[in-house]
Amino acid sequence: MIKRLLAGVVGAGILGGFGFLYYAWYPPIATIEPPAAKSFSAEQIERGRIVAAEGYCAECHTRTDMGGGPELAGDYRMETPFGAIYSSNITPDPEMGIGQWSEEALRRAMRLGVSRQGVHLIPAFPYDHFTKMTDQDISDLYAYLMTRPPVHMARRPNELPFPLSLRIGQAAWKLMFFTPGVYKPDPSHDALWNRGAYLAEGNAHCGACHTPRNFMGAEKKGSMYDGAVVDGWIAPPLNDKNPTPTAWTEDELYQYLRFGVAPLHGPAGGPMSPIPHRFLSTVPEYDVHAIAHYYADVAHSAERSKHDKAALAHAMEQSKIDLIGPNVDPDAKLYQGACAACHYNSAPSPVLGRPDLALNNALWLDEPTNLFQVMLRGLTAEEGQSGIAMPSFYNALSDADMARIAAYLRRTRTTLPPWKDLEKKAAEARETVKSIPVNSSH
Amino acid sequence: MIKFKLNGRDVSVDVPDDTPLLWALRDELDQTGTKFGCGVGQCGACTVHVGGRATRSCITPVSSIAGADVTTIEGLHPEGKHPVQEAWRDIQVPQCGYCQSGQIMQAASLLKDYPDPTDEQIDGVMGGSLCRCMTYIRIRKAIKKAAAAMREETASHG
Amino acid sequence: MGKLERIAAQQDRKAGLTTSRRGFLLTAVGSAFMFGFAREGKAAQVFPASAGMPGNGAFEPTIWCSIAPDGVVNINVIRAEMGQHVGTALARIIADEMEADWDKVKITQVDTDPKWGLMVTGGSWSVWMTWDTFRQAGAAARTVMIEEGAKLLGTSAANCVARNGRVIAGGKSISFGEIVSRAHPTRTYSPDEMAKLTLKPASERRLIGKDVKALDIPAKTDGSAIYGIDAKLDGMVYARPKMPPTRYGSKVVSVDDSEAKKVKGYLRYIVLDDPSDTVPGWVAVLASSYPAAIRATDLLKVTWTPGKTANVSENDIIEHGRKQIAEKSGGSCVFNDAGVDEAFSSAKQVFERTYTCASVLHYQLEPMNALARFQDGKWEIHCGNQWQSLFLPVIAKALQVKETDVVMRSYLLGGGFGRRLNGDYAVPAALISKALEGKPVKLILTRSDDMQFDSFRSPSIQTVRVALDENKTPKGWEHHASAGWPTRVMAAAFMEKGADGKAYDQFAIAGADHWYDVGPMRVRALDNDLADATFRPGWLRSVSSGWTPWAHEAFLDELAHEKGVDPVDFRLSLLTAKGRNAGKAPDSVGGATRQANVLKRLVEKCGYGKTQLPADTAIGIATTFGQERAMPTWTAGAVQVHVDRKTGVVTCQKIWLVLDAGTIIDPNGAMAQTEGGALWGVSMALFENTEIVNGNVRDRNLNTYTPLRISDTPEMDIEFVESTEKPMGLGEPGVTTIGAAIANAVFNAVGVRLRHQPIRPADVLKGLSEKKSA
Repeated sequence: MIKRLLAGVVGAGILGGFGFLYYAWYPPIATIEPPAAKSFSAEQIERGRIVAAEGYCAECHTRTDMGGGPELAGDYRMETPFGAIYSSNITPDPEMGIGQWSEEALRRAMRLGVSRQGVHLIPAFPYDHFTKMTDQDISDLYAYLMTRPPVHMARRPNELPFPLSLRIGQAAWKLMFFTPGVYKPDPSHDALWNRGAYLAEGNAHCGACHTPRNFMGAEKKGSMYDGAVVDGWIAPPLNDKNPTPTAWTEDELYQYLRFGVAPLHGPAGGPMSPIPHRFLSTVPEYDVHAIAHYYADVAHSAERSKHDKAALAHAMEQSKIDLIGPNVDPDAKLYQGACAACHYNSAPSPVLGRPDLALNNALWLDEPTNLFQVMLRGLTAEEGQSGIAMPSFYNALSDADMARIAAYLRRTRTTLPPWKDLEKKAAEARETVKSIPVNSSH
Repeated sequence: MIKFKLNGRDVSVDVPDDTPLLWALRDELDQTGTKFGCGVGQCGACTVHVGGRATRSCITPVSSIAGADVTTIEGLHPEGKHPVQEAWRDIQVPQCGYCQSGQIMQAASLLKDYPDPTDEQIDGVMGGSLCRCMTYIRIRKAIKKAAAAMREETASHG
Repeated sequence: MGKLERIAAQQDRKAGLTTSRRGFLLTAVGSAFMFGFAREGKAAQVFPASAGMPGNGAFEPTIWCSIAPDGVVNINVIRAEMGQHVGTALARIIADEMEADWDKVKITQVDTDPKWGLMVTGGSWSVWMTWDTFRQAGAAARTVMIEEGAKLLGTSAANCVARNGRVIAGGKSISFGEIVSRAHPTRTYSPDEMAKLTLKPASERRLIGKDVKALDIPAKTDGSAIYGIDAKLDGMVYARPKMPPTRYGSKVVSVDDSEAKKVKGYLRYIVLDDPSDTVPGWVAVLASSYPAAIRATDLLKVTWTPGKTANVSENDIIEHGRKQIAEKSGGSCVFNDAGVDEAFSSAKQVFERTYTCASVLHYQLEPMNALARFQDGKWEIHCGNQWQSLFLPVIAKALQVKETDVVMRSYLLGGGFGRRLNGDYAVPAALISKALEGKPVKLILTRSDDMQFDSFRSPSIQTVRVALDENKTPKGWEHHASAGWPTRVMAAAFMEKGADGKAYDQFAIAGADHWYDVGPMRVRALDNDLADATFRPGWLRSVSSGWTPWAHEAFLDELAHEKGVDPVDFRLSLLTAKGRNAGKAPDSVGGATRQANVLKRLVEKCGYGKTQLPADTAIGIATTFGQERAMPTWTAGAVQVHVDRKTGVVTCQKIWLVLDAGTIIDPNGAMAQTEGGALWGVSMALFENTEIVNGNVRDRNLNTYTPLRISDTPEMDIEFVESTEKPMGLGEPGVTTIGAAIANAVFNAVGVRLRHQPIRPADVLKGLSEKKSA
């Protein structure tokens, strides 16, 4: 799921020096004959499926450009400032995939970020989280991966220039930022909390997107879950820095993670969308509850939710500003024509399917990034709330129109200071959209 | 080939992914009741239901509704007797009629969210549907009439 | 051509468009279409006129109606259906006079044919123009039914009456259908014979004036109504224009379609060669689907040398008009009474004010479109249109063929409001088809294209002056109005001759020729030639009567305040119904007395001057004679506004209207028209307007063009005066009083006089601060 790869991650390569060579050196692990499918029990394979789903393996190990690729066969393209890199084939194909990997080899990769061949993996592969996984989970994952259909497909070579292409540099990075070790339960919390923490910190690697990274591309230790930019979107803060007026309660989080839409906070969009729809809707409910439980605690939502009733009532008043009775404000008119038919709400609370902008992260974040992204791209029927779609306003709203709506909503639906340089930011967000819909507007 | 459900039937269209749903409906599937108005999602003439929710088809790429359930004015009711349609005829709402498919689809969707809508709720939701003949007063009346009819229906079945 | 057809066919096959499917649509929408009152299945909505109609044993006493052996009465309607339920209103007239069974009445919106005479739908004329003919046509059918029915019943015609589709003699009766199927009547009536028939007295009317469900409405609630944009023909290709930088005079220098060629479905472009000069400088882009045409047009690169108006602004046009008004000569006078100059030269005081109105776009919801092809020796144009008679010759000229070689097939109009009086959009479709040797071509303008190509309501400037004696009583009156002249540009032959013998555009001055007694009058219309050169001025709902009252009805309030009298009392004192204001039969019986009556009734209704209203809230009043002097719909309007002193926002809270339009044929339809008209008035006064910038309109879509929406809609109380006088029009009078009534209400609320329409918050704030500092 790490779709961002900062310059520093790759740039660490330049720190590679002879002094690190000893630290950096890992031997190859011997190849094996691909294990027979029947050497794994059906129960173990099923447990492995859940582990794979909770780690979203298929999300980054399946090609999405060039018309898509076979599941887990890799070649997923990730942009870096120095050139694209491509994910590995993790199907059991002996030549192209991990068919000749032993369970030990997989365990080493997950725990230490080193391939079977002894090569340091780029931390785009979030071994800094996977290191927390139990032997049992890795073993189950191995069973699952080794029983997938092998795909004889090579990934494209990484486009990193020398010396960034030298993997030795990754070892230096590890020395500075990587702490290996399996998750240790916190006895001051109950089993549900610990299960949630284990998943969230480990396999589900939430911090990979939601924790800001330093200049070397490592998650900032003191800023855990403060929110960060991913693929042109903001992964919002998961801690009490989350700015929405109502708390992300355990139930809101559960609905969001399980079904892709929270009654008050709205649908999952952008890179978050597959998390519920493709993955967390397929795992045991208990695990999703556990993650929700854990983040409700991280965000102190029990404390914050005391204000929810008042915040909700206030938001419902804000939601209808300028929509009731005559108005001649051109920005309000634009919002009314383009947005309000779907986003209007009235007391006591928003209707499911009418995401309320006064309650949504998008208006309350420091930047209009997510608001612009969702305006430009819309949401397909597969994303957000299943079966319903938000149109793409890519052609319907110019940069200036988008800026007007953003400024208007920020002004009328939040208590926060105005966003700056909106038109420029709208243009930048527009640049990130690759497939441009047909334009009926000019 | 993009597949979805249209008015209860499985359909598929062979058009570029970026084709607006509106034109797929009108030109490929012959459902011309859905109209082209502004092309920028701000007049509501192209409103259809996707997954039961009013959606502006002129700016919704057809690929984005793959697998979804789409209902157009032609499929709102098999005999054109949805309570909103009945109320529209009783109150004699349409003038030129061009926006009315969209108005009716938006109103039908409104009544799912707000079965007994206030004037505020009607304004809030219907504000995106432009009627150049300005039949607004009748739209308000007809929505209330349809709401009453639907509540009666529910009561008699409940 | 052969190649293009192959490409298109190939792409159609790819898109799964088989000939048979489109062929079905051809039969479905070809020829005339029809509405049934009792709607059966959906597919039955649209079918050729020949089935079950004349030619199948139907009796057709005139070209206007027929009775089939099954009793179905078909009424041919030559007026465009654009929301006014005109077919219903007109069918009521014939059916009432005929004593037809309303449940058996059907309407056919006919295609163009010389036999129909002038085909135009506008100016709120439809009922007024058709009233006599249709009553006569109904009488003709009734006469024959009674004569033939009497024979079949074995009695004399004198013993028979017709009622509800039957001829009745005492206890015996026979249906119209049976009479037709048994007696096969063939009698036809010439217009002269029709004119001699005895018509029913008003007391005998059974359908007119009664509530009725409009025939066109059911199909507009289930998606089955077919508009011009819905027309499809076998093998058609789609086109979208690439529009030049100026309305006139742009010349194509080069075209580069290298990028457009990358669009799947793009076929080619055509630089239009237009002998009628309707669409100079247009380049059409052809594609196998409309989305492909949209995209390819965006990517087509065309360079033009622009026409001379590339830098003209709205302000240039207004200032040009101001100069025209300042000059004594020029223009044409509707009224130029003896003694005007003397009244002013001997006046104790001359009171003068100038008023302006911004450009207003039609924004009819169905963008302009037309489908053209050459079929069976004729050029067919499929589209909705309000003035077929006007554009057939233009299309013929563009195609360089005889007018009789062109036929327009009629469809519903997704809004008219005057835009489709101007059939300019049919010309490019015809030209493209011609370039493709007659292949069917569907031209659709995107909204932005449509707005750029609109023939919108011209900006206008008006100066009203009055000569006052020592009691400040009006002794002479001048009204000068400068605006673009749509009728000169598009239909010069229809212009009227002024008092000075010079032709003028009645649709750019009507309304100023009011019914007040203010001494000798000079009402001068000035053709703003800079406007005409920059864009194609259009007729827009209520035409000049939508903006001339903005001047004189505000002016009368200003004058009343100057004089220190109540504006309503002042108006009533001027509505003396003397001289030319006495009115004359049949159209303006009673004259200004009827205008005074509606005003008095309005004042009673709205509580003007009596009701205590909250602070900064007030009622304003205006009165007009509706659309035009020769066809007056006596109208009085009141608007209650609230002015927010902090923001300058004017909120229209309530509207009252009282109208005397003579006989009301279709009360519900009349109400609908008036509601819509009044809201157009509010929209133009407070919500929508555009501006010419660099030779084009500034606004290209709803992101900046903001017509009234449902939340802006005020409460309305509309009343029609009961009358048996000749029916007048109702499509437009609702608009006429609203703007001035709002301006007068704003003055009454906060003492600020606004003379530019639309009223914007900034203007109100400016007025408030000027008032403070004064």
